[in-house]
Formats: sequence, structure tokens, C-alpha cells
Amino acid sequence: MKPYSESSAKAPEPLFNRAYSHADAGNQDNIADSPSIEELLNHNTNLWRGCNMAGQGIHGRSTGYPQLDSILPGRGWPQKGLIEIISPQWGMGELQLLIPLMRSVIEQGHWILWISPPHLLYAPALVQAGISTDQVLVVNLETSCKDALWSMEKALQTNNCGLVLAWQTWLPGKVLRRLQLAAETGRTLGVLFKHRDSKYSQSKMRLQIKSFSPQAGSFNKAEVTIIKARGNFQPLTTQLELYRHHSQHTA
Amino acid sequence: MEDPNSTSQLPLPSPFSGKAEVVKLPLRDRPSLALKNKVGKAQSKKPTSLWYAVYFPQLAELSESQQDEQLNVLAALLENISATVSFHPQALICEIRSSLKYFGGIEAIHNKLKGPLAEQLKQLALPEYFLYAACPTVTGSLLLARSGHNGLIYQQDNLRSALGQLSTNVLHLNKEQNRRLYNMGIRHLRDIWRLPTNDLYKRFGSDFINLLNRALNLAPEPTRNYVPPPAFSTTYDLPYEIDNLDRLLPVAGEMLEQLSEFLQRRDLCTSHLLFSLKHEKRSSTVINMSLRQPSRSSEHLLMLLGTHFSNLIIPAPVIAAKIKVKKFDAFMTHSESLLSEDKSATKQYSDSNLNQFMEQLKAKLGGHFVNSIKTIAEHCPEYATQQMTYEKMEKIEKPYKVGQELKKNPISPRPLFLLEKPEQLVLRNGKLYHRKSIEIISGPERIETYWWSGTDVRRDYYVAVEQNGSRLWIYRERSGEKNWYLHGYFA
Repeated sequence: MKPYSESSAKAPEPLFNRAYSHADAGNQDNIADSPSIEELLNHNTNLWRGCNMAGQGIHGRSTGYPQLDSILPGRGWPQKGLIEIISPQWGMGELQLLIPLMRSVIEQGHWILWISPPHLLYAPALVQAGISTDQVLVVNLETSCKDALWSMEKALQTNNCGLVLAWQTWLPGKVLRRLQLAAETGRTLGVLFKHRDSKYSQSKMRLQIKSFSPQAGSFNKAEVTIIKARGNFQPLTTQLELYRHHSQHTA
Repeated sequence: MEDPNSTSQLPLPSPFSGKAEVVKLPLRDRPSLALKNKVGKAQSKKPTSLWYAVYFPQLAELSESQQDEQLNVLAALLENISATVSFHPQALICEIRSSLKYFGGIEAIHNKLKGPLAEQLKQLALPEYFLYAACPTVTGSLLLARSGHNGLIYQQDNLRSALGQLSTNVLHLNKEQNRRLYNMGIRHLRDIWRLPTNDLYKRFGSDFINLLNRALNLAPEPTRNYVPPPAFSTTYDLPYEIDNLDRLLPVAGEMLEQLSEFLQRRDLCTSHLLFSLKHEKRSSTVINMSLRQPSRSSEHLLMLLGTHFSNLIIPAPVIAAKIKVKKFDAFMTHSESLLSEDKSATKQYSDSNLNQFMEQLKAKLGGHFVNSIKTIAEHCPEYATQQMTYEKMEKIEKPYKVGQELKKNPISPRPLFLLEKPEQLVLRNGKLYHRKSIEIISGPERIETYWWSGTDVRRDYYVAVEQNGSRLWIYRERSGEKNWYLHGYFA
């Protein structure tokens, strides 16, 4: 008699428990099944456990911040899709979150496209962070919003652009939906920097970055809230230490 | 007992005989074959060709590459009268027997060429004269032209006597050979013909003998022929006027398909083409498509054209479309890697894919909107970064070398965002304000430079935090009013 048919008559919850207990016991019938579930959970973005999803699976790209990894589904940034990073004003360390990712993107030989950053992108700072500038492209701030969105959509549709960063303070839901769809077709991760959160956004993930009160002397510390992430039920918050190279210097 | 060798029924080598027998073909077949060949030769005998040589002695002063260039230009003119134009030192030679009747004699051909050649020489800023001659051999006509007599020899039988009158100078031999010929008492070509070939061969080498033989049609004459440069231009007249450019795309697609086929046959690519849209009673709209990387893929070109169309506003309905290729390039493909995990090959492939995207980006936004950045070894912060258009970037080799050096000697932290123009900060009650109050975290880092240029840069830089959480890079001027400025954001 198969253990599966026996347990399927009961509530679905014990089904998993049962399967695991069998695997632990080294049951000959089920030994082939249970690791595959583990594997599926680890590598398939569309599959997760109902209870506690953050930090499940390993299909993400590591953020370089262990605390952040632990609250992200897939333990890292998604491989593709659209991420929104909300910071009330620029200069909150929002780019610092992505520095390790950028480094790995460059190392893989991909490109980073910066679409209309609000200020001049400063090359020495990039080099300091270990990002070679010859794989960095910048679309000027003077570009019209329509063209900027067009280039973001096209870049997201490509397979090898690597990373697209865009700064748009306000976008209608329709546009966000379109960008998200474009990101699904390609293999490029898009990051949108915004000042304000839009609740009904279609993006795969929405993060908010806040800094601690500066009076506490915590220049490097930042608080990151994951408002929404595909695979997470409730917002999760963690505290990070940014500017690692910076703190090394001042120490 | 019968002798096995005498039997005609057994042509196979007999196992009894000591040596293998050679089987010969029946003899009577052979003469008939030879006869056939002879008949074939006689039938296919063409009238001897006539070569018209144009010699430009003025070119001798130019460098070889320049000569080649000029001859190429001039050869295009000779293309009008003959399909076979070959290059020789400072001379062009073309076959005119086949077109003699069409043009109505050699005089007519010469008159037809004279004007354009003179004009072309004038354009090239060369003296407007040339020497010419015609005879049944290539080398012969060249020698005749060099002699400057503008001779014309129709029959091959007259060739020997006509060439014989020429001085030995026309052979353009080297000094040593000239001296030797002179010492031998040879002044004209006919003197050479009186000498035994073997001895001449010993004294002057095979090249010399070959030259003479070719002039007399005794040796084959290999020539380097003029190949006209590729050109592609196609026009499509629309059956009705088109207002909407999207409806033009299928037509354009077909035209680009033609172009792609043309390029594939010639193993070429294009990197610059013009797509013009004709309007009635108006000058046509020209789309200038220059590619960053040569391509011949019709899909890629169509996609680019579509991007151009999306930006275009046409003044009037389109009645015809035209493609003209401005620049051809040799086709270069990337080599596939043997091992799938070979990194460089996949990178190349992804680069080529990415290039298509970059091209599209450039076509849509305009070249000056897409920039690369690089670092410059410079103390003054605002000059240490440079934005440049993507094409320019490509031309500079190893642009990040400076950056590598920077990485080695750590300088104090630099912000990712720099303000193009520093913003002045307000100092109120001993506290700095931007939008909110500012607190200094670390610093100062003193930067003093440009003292030699008059616009002194003397600043103390600090890292600071604004009340609302922004990390700032601020500085205070060390001279003048000692104002505070915001210069960057640690984003």
C-alpha cells in the first residue's frame, strides 16, 4: 500500500509532515520523492511553503547583506523582474543596497544601464566600490520620460543587459504593469527608485529604506522594510550596515 | 604447345610469364582523338583580342598606395568601354576588340575616353596627359604606350616588327641590366630578338624572357583585373500613397531582405545606409542609419528602421522608398566556442546581442543621450569623472586604467551622485541647513588644486548626514567668504 493514498484522505497539512518523516526514516518507497520536493522549493520561484516563506529556497541572487537575504524569498534578489526601492529622498543609501549585486553583474560580463539618474553619476565612487565603469551606460536626465520608459522596457526585454536602474518619482499602475511584463519576458533585473510607495504596484518586490535617526551616530545603519515580495505574506523589516568600505576608512 | 603471348584473346598478363605485361590501348584510337582536338581548336579559335593601354607616366612620382588609389578611380572610367580592365604599373589596359564594332572603331573609343580621363586627372590634381597604344598583347600594348608613339597594331603578325623598333628603355629594367644591354650593343628590342634565348636567360633571368615572350604572345599573360566596388541601391514605387509609416514596414522589410541577400552573396556587411522616403512635390525624407557594428541581418535592420519610424514625422504621404548603402564592410562572424562553458565566446555573443539593443537605444534617443562614464586622474572632484557618448568611448582603449590606479590607493569615500553645480548651504545659529539640519560625520579632507590656473580650488570636504536621513558630501571654501556647499549624495 502506498503511503501517499493513505495520507491524502486526511488534511493536507500532515501530508508534508508524513513525507518528511518517511524521508528521515529512509523509507525505500519514498526516498526518491522527498528530496525532489526540497529541490523544487529551493529552485522554483512559483512554489513555496504556506507558513513561513521568507528565507526559503535559494533561487535568488545574494544581496551581499546576510540580514537582507534572510528576509527575502529565495534568499536574495530575484533573477529577473521589477523591484521598486522607495526612499523618501535620494542619498539614503538606496544604491548601496545594490552595490554587491552590481559587482556580480559586472563580473559576469553584463552591463548596467542607468536611466536618467537624478544627479551626475560619479565614476570614482563606482570604481571605489569595485565596479568597472566600462560596462556602465547612462541615459541622460534630459531624456523625455516617454523615451526613458521606452528604453527601460526594451532593456528589460533583453536577455543580457544585466541590470537596469531607473529613477522615476511617479508612474501610473498601467506603466508599472507594462514594465513588469517586459521584465518577465527578458532575463534582466530592473530596479525602479521612487520617493513614494504606490500600494497597488505590480512589481515583484517593493522595498523601503529608512535610516535611523542620525543623532544616534549611526551613519552606516539603515532599516529596510520589504513591503511586498512575491512569496512573502507580511512586511518584514531588518537593519543593515551600509557603506562598509566607508566605515573601514573612517575607523 | 601454343605460346601464351601470341594469343590475341588473352590480353591479361599470363600467370606463366615472368614479368607483367603492359596493356596498350589500340593504336588507331589515338590519332582520331588528336584530330578531334585539332578540329576543336580550329573551330573555337577566336579573333585575336586587341588591348588598349593607357599609360600615366605622371603617377610614377606618387607612392604605391596612392597610385593604386588613383588607378582605381581611373579604372572606373575604362569600365565604360570594356568589361576587362587590368592594372599595371602606372597603366591600365583594357580589351577592346569585342566592343570595337559597337563604338565604331578605335578612334571613336579613344575620343570617348579622352575627355573623361582628362577631367578625372584634373580632379586628382595631376597633369592632364596620358599615353596610349593598342596591340594584340597586353604587355605589347604596355610597351608601345611607354614608348610614347601612340601606336596601333591590329594584326599579330605585325607585332614583332612594330615592337622591334622600340628602344630598350620601355622595358623598365633596373640599372644593372640596362648597363649590360648597352654594353652588349643592344639599343632596340629587335637587337634582343637576334640573340639566342638560352644565353639571354642565363644573363638576364627568367623574368626578362617572360616579359618579351608575353609581349609577342608566346607566353600566357596573367592580369590583375579591376573589380568594381559593390553598390546597392533599390527603389520601390508604392502603388498608392502611404500616410502611416507602420504600413510601410512590410515593404521596407522586403527591400531589406533584398539587401541582406545581396550582402550575403558577396560576403559583406553594411554599417551605414540611407533609407529615403519620397514625397510628391517635396524633397524626400532621408533616414540616416549608421550602425555601431556592421550587420546584414534584415530583421535587425528592420527593427532599427521601425525605431527610426517611430520618431519620424513625415511632411507628406510617401510615394516611394529607396535604400542606398553608403558603406560596406567585410563580414566578420564570431567564432563559436568548442566548449559550451567557454566564457569569452559567450560574452562575445551576448555583446553582439547587446550591441543590437544599444543601436536601437541610440536610434530612438539620439546618440548624445546615451553616455559612458570614465574616471580621470584628477584631484578636483568635478573633473574626475567624464561622460562621453558611447561611440567615442569605443575608440579609447582601456578607458578604466586610471580607475584601476585609483582602486589601488584608497582615497576617502566619494559619493555616487555628484551635483553638477554645488548648492550653497545655509549657516544659521552655528548650524548648517540644506532642507533639514546637517550634522558632520567625518572630515575634513582638504583638496587644493588649480592654483596655477587662477580659479583656485581650496576646499575642505566633509561627510555629513541630514536630519531626514540623506548622506551628504559637503565642503567649505577655504578662501573668500568661506561658504558651505553641498556637492554630492552618498546614495
